[in-house]
Amino acid sequence: MKFTCNQNLPERAIHIALKGPDGGCQRGDGSGCFIASNVPTTPGDMTERGCTYAGCRGVVGGPVKDAIQLTHGPIGCAFFSWGYRPHLADSDFHIKYTFVSDMNETNIVFGGEKKLLQCIIEASREFPDARAVFIYNTCSTALIGDDGRDVAKQAEELIGKPVVFFECEGFRGVSQSMGHHVGNETIFRQLVGSVEPEGDFSRSINIIGDYNIKNDLRTFEYLFEAVGLKILTRFTGNVSVDELKIMHKAPLNVVHCQRSATYIADMMRDKYGTPYINVTLWGIKNMSQALRDTAAFFGLEAQAEEVIERELARIQPGLDYYRQRLQGKTVFIYQGGPRVWHWIELLRELGMETMTAATTFGHDDDYQKIFRQLKEGALVVDNPNGPEIEEILRERRPDLFISGNKEKYVAYKMGVPFVNGHTYDTGPYAGFVGMVNFARDIDKALHAPIWKTLRSRARPAPVAHHTSHGFEEVE
Amino acid sequence: MRQVAFYGKGGIGKSTTQQNIAAALASMGKKVMVVGCDPKADCTRLLLGGVRQPSVLDTLRDFGAERVNLERVMVPGYATVRCVESGGPEPGVGCGGRGVITAIQTLETLGAYEDDLDYVFYDVLGDVVCGGFAMPIREGYAEEIYIVCSGEYMALFAANNICKGIKKFAERGYARLGGLICNSRLVENERALVEEFARRLNSKMIHFVPRSKDVQRAEINKKTVIDYDPSLPQAEEYRQLARKIDSNTEFTIPTPITQDELEDLMREYGIVD
Repeated sequence: MKFTCNQNLPERAIHIALKGPDGGCQRGDGSGCFIASNVPTTPGDMTERGCTYAGCRGVVGGPVKDAIQLTHGPIGCAFFSWGYRPHLADSDFHIKYTFVSDMNETNIVFGGEKKLLQCIIEASREFPDARAVFIYNTCSTALIGDDGRDVAKQAEELIGKPVVFFECEGFRGVSQSMGHHVGNETIFRQLVGSVEPEGDFSRSINIIGDYNIKNDLRTFEYLFEAVGLKILTRFTGNVSVDELKIMHKAPLNVVHCQRSATYIADMMRDKYGTPYINVTLWGIKNMSQALRDTAAFFGLEAQAEEVIERELARIQPGLDYYRQRLQGKTVFIYQGGPRVWHWIELLRELGMETMTAATTFGHDDDYQKIFRQLKEGALVVDNPNGPEIEEILRERRPDLFISGNKEKYVAYKMGVPFVNGHTYDTGPYAGFVGMVNFARDIDKALHAPIWKTLRSRARPAPVAHHTSHGFEEVE
Repeated sequence: MRQVAFYGKGGIGKSTTQQNIAAALASMGKKVMVVGCDPKADCTRLLLGGVRQPSVLDTLRDFGAERVNLERVMVPGYATVRCVESGGPEPGVGCGGRGVITAIQTLETLGAYEDDLDYVFYDVLGDVVCGGFAMPIREGYAEEIYIVCSGEYMALFAANNICKGIKKFAERGYARLGGLICNSRLVENERALVEEFARRLNSKMIHFVPRSKDVQRAEINKKTVIDYDPSLPQAEEYRQLARKIDSNTEFTIPTPITQDELEDLMREYGIVD
């Protein structure tokens, strides 16, 4: 597909590809090369990418429920750290509060180290129950060379708790993806393995790369427990600092988000020899496979089959109802990264086909997984910009658009049913029972009564419209 | 109003020369303001008789932006030369470059430039390490630049580097080089060398300031030579330099030379062999 909106942006061609008849990739520049990803955005391209700080603070570090989440930077950076991501937990300290060192002009000129130290001390005094302080560095404080690592060390001695300094300056990397890496690396270096607990961990696993969006954990934690496994540490949804410290004790890492968290699984394999398996915890086939693979590691296959059978029977009536209502619909999925390839199969199980797929910060391996699953003729776009999204909605007319809040109203304006896959309309969507929630939200979006009204011929507004609302008629 | 910036290698005598020129111009009846753009805040010491005035940034930090006013940060010195220091962080912390930008913008907001000034001098620290220290030669500020140097290799090397920076700004349509001031270090063949160097830079050596013990003597007394004893021959040198700057009309875009060229020049004039 040639985008008319890209007439003056020929650099975008290598980020747009069709799945060819031979299963290969037909790239927009005419070459057969694979779609380009994880490269700097072309100047002039209105990208929707976030920054490294966003990836580290918002995605990886932010869900840790009992840490003081402190942004070292100007107040604006903190505003965008608060209240936009429902990474829930069984307590709400991390949702209610965000902290910032509030760097102003004179702090930048004279250095922010002293103020940062004061902030850490003040925050930990105000909230003595917090188990650690996480500090996230921003562009401005990095440029002036504030030595946050040293401040963290000083603070640790003063408050007697871990003070973790994330070097996630916004300008590093090409997207928020770099922030995930920094978050993984820092938590691994500073926390993992810092205590050696006593006990038997032989039947435990870590779930790596689930952030408990709208309580996703509630849909699959009990499944692993029913198989006979305990989830020791969740990286990082509904997790405490103390759990992160002991996560090296689990004999297996189960990696869900393979973009933002494979890093820590790799580091744990190298340092502790912990093996990991890649799983998808969305959809019938994938969730079943995840349970089977995990159970097989511990020799608990029979228990897994039992659980799967019981759960599927439970959701079958709901799924059957929705499947006949959703059958044959086409979908455009645009997510940050892995959810695109996590959901292609799930949507197929509901009778729907993904014809357009896009990610904000996916890497090569994400696109390999997308291409492998898509049907011939499907369109794939890397790091799409606003005009491209509008053109896709206008020209390809998907029956459903699954994306995030940024795209919600664009979709509504263009008359395309929309489901928020980023933070969920209702949720949770993971596991078996979550899939029914997902199907219900899709059904609500597709069959909302508003579409009937919109699609009937538009009538001109009555002449008396203005006056009837008390406005003067304007000639 | 003429806005003039002084640059040059650290320790070359920029501040001393600049303050003596300011004092000389003031003694001729010109209205001068000196803005020190060095976190060390030592650019107006001789004009103020050793008094350390509150710097713009210290005031900004201690009292807040709304309580900074010209009475606090602009102190009259010798012959009513108005003295301002930008100030800045201690070495190793914060951002001195941002400090210079903040200080100059604050002065502008406070209306420091709106008066009937004849001259504004910017005295910028030796190493122009980042964009902040180039602030005085951005659009709307200093349009003339003088580089203080000597016949020593490192001083000329620094001058050449500064010219690269000026060239960049000059090509955008502002900031011109007014000339080189040679502050003698008693290097052999110094005058001829600096004159030739200036010529190659498409500029001129505007004045050769001879070395004199009187400068140190005045400094110990926390004074410019002009203030200490106006009848000294060195005072006359500074007055001459001030008159030359006052009547200077030749402002050029410099043509920096390569390092090889600079080394050849040194060899040619018999200092390196």
